Amino acid sequence: MIKRQLSEIVKKEMHIMLRDKQTILLLFLMPLALIFFMTLAFKGVYADKIYEKQISTMIENESKTPKANLLEQKITSNKLIKRVELPPGVDKDRIFEQGKAQVLVVIPGGFETGTSPVEIYFDPVFDTGYKVAVRSLMASLTVEVVMGIENIDAVVAGLITEKTRKDMIVPNPLQLTVPAYAIFAMFFIAIPMSIGFLKEKNDGTLQRLFTYAVSPNAIALGKIIPYYIINIIQFVLMLFVGVFIAPSLIGTPFQTGTHPWHLIPVTLVVAAATTGFGVLIATLAKTLEQTSTLAASGAILMGVLGGIMVPHFVMSPLMQKLAMISPIYWAHQSYLDVFLRNANLNIILPKLAVLLFFALACFLIAGRRVKWM
Amino acid sequence: MKALEISQISFSYHSSADQSAGGIGYALHHFSMSIEQGKIHALLGPNGAGKTTLMKIITGVLRGYAGDVFVLGNKMPDNKALISIGCAPQAIALYMSLTALENLHFFGVMANLSKDQIAARSDAVLAQTGLTDHAQKLVSTYSGGMQRRLNLAVALLHSPKLLLLDEPTVGVDPQTRNHIYETLSHLNASGMTILLSTHMMEEAARLCSSVTLLDKGEIIFDGPMAAIDNLEKFFLEKTGRGLRDD
Repeated sequence: MIKRQLSEIVKKEMHIMLRDKQTILLLFLMPLALIFFMTLAFKGVYADKIYEKQISTMIENESKTPKANLLEQKITSNKLIKRVELPPGVDKDRIFEQGKAQVLVVIPGGFETGTSPVEIYFDPVFDTGYKVAVRSLMASLTVEVVMGIENIDAVVAGLITEKTRKDMIVPNPLQLTVPAYAIFAMFFIAIPMSIGFLKEKNDGTLQRLFTYAVSPNAIALGKIIPYYIINIIQFVLMLFVGVFIAPSLIGTPFQTGTHPWHLIPVTLVVAAATTGFGVLIATLAKTLEQTSTLAASGAILMGVLGGIMVPHFVMSPLMQKLAMISPIYWAHQSYLDVFLRNANLNIILPKLAVLLFFALACFLIAGRRVKWM
Repeated sequence: MKALEISQISFSYHSSADQSAGGIGYALHHFSMSIEQGKIHALLGPNGAGKTTLMKIITGVLRGYAGDVFVLGNKMPDNKALISIGCAPQAIALYMSLTALENLHFFGVMANLSKDQIAARSDAVLAQTGLTDHAQKLVSTYSGGMQRRLNLAVALLHSPKLLLLDEPTVGVDPQTRNHIYETLSHLNASGMTILLSTHMMEEAARLCSSVTLLDKGEIIFDGPMAAIDNLEKFFLEKTGRGLRDD
């Protein structure tokens, strides 16, 4: 009897949820859109930052000596550099204000002898990563010209070489955004979950259920299971889009790692954490307005802390430590372990233990706070 | 055997510590009443008198009360006896994004009816409440009167022996009200016992053969409807004309 009632409550919840267009938009379309837009937005921050981006650079050759001309030619022909000329009538001191260039390189007379160094000026809002790249490029090219070396990379090749595992590709934004926004959307399940619970409490249907011989456990489970299933569907859909659709649309590859079956325990535990969060919000909120506010702001805050909006590796050391209080951090790192680090299960398990602890704590607090009427 | 027997029920929404500290009152206090089988009994009282609390106690929704409740001889709360009770709450307690048939199917499973029983009884109660032609429509598309009738249909689905109705005609037009009255009269004629909680005196006078009047959780009057000449006048005399804002 309980099994039949439980199955019927699950079916009813699924029906209600899937007929709500706003819920579908929130749970499925929002993360898909975020994956596409955020991948495109972050494209420049990853591998193609160096290989595809061109930096608008103005070159002032004050020396005009053969070596200065050679340096000017080497800078101009480098694929990182897009040479721009100073438009007529524009003061070179104001080019950054007017957005004409991002870098100004001045080659003074006597740079070959070390009496006047090559000067590099940057747009004040220029990304630090690009600054390092330009500075490194200018250093290499200047050394080549001054010391008469044809190609410094060939010279240092015997001293420094980059090694990449054969089965690894360079991490790209898609590798981060697919798990990131899948997790984010999974945490957003708290909104329909808590609204559904409060609505039934307010409209009397929950009370009506108790006039039948239905156990509270069946009602609670019947409300949790559908959202747990939806969470898993969300992740599978995001993964499908990440593997099969996004690469052809965005031109960015996606790898699932050497142990893709590790995604199963990770997703099951992440879904437990997200539904736990949903149950907690459902019991904390007293009004429908409170449910939306608590669930959305909670998910966004955990997302910001956990490295969804701003990748964890670009955070300050303090923020990187603070991120650990967010369950989203542990969920995201677990997925990155599978996708990028090819980690063994014993590396992932401690992270899953943190998520399980979070889920249990949520369920425990919710169990103590729940008021069915 | 009586359909419903309530003996010395006391219930408070506040804890005993709150009560001893602040003298907070009871929603029901030493309340007793009974209904013979096959009767329609009116439960009357001003707002906050304790009518809805009593309904919740009978249906097992509220527990932790003092005293005894027996439904058809079974001491409550009792899961088997719960199935013999049908309850149409004052609120439209239906799933708006489900159809009428889906609502009936859902509550049929909750009442432990078989698939065939649900199908047969759904047809019957939809016909009884005049909703057969609207069975496949989402409840959210129903008018207020149709929703009120479906609210009643769900309560009737598992053929209860005792039907509890809390304001079953609130907010409906005279046609729907009349339809509900006729439905209740037919159900009663077939042997169903009905406890009707209402603020509409003419409704109680028209349908009910006995009445319990309660106020502030205590009984003011319990007896046959025939003993009362003018129910509205009697109600105001017993409960006062002052507004109940607390």
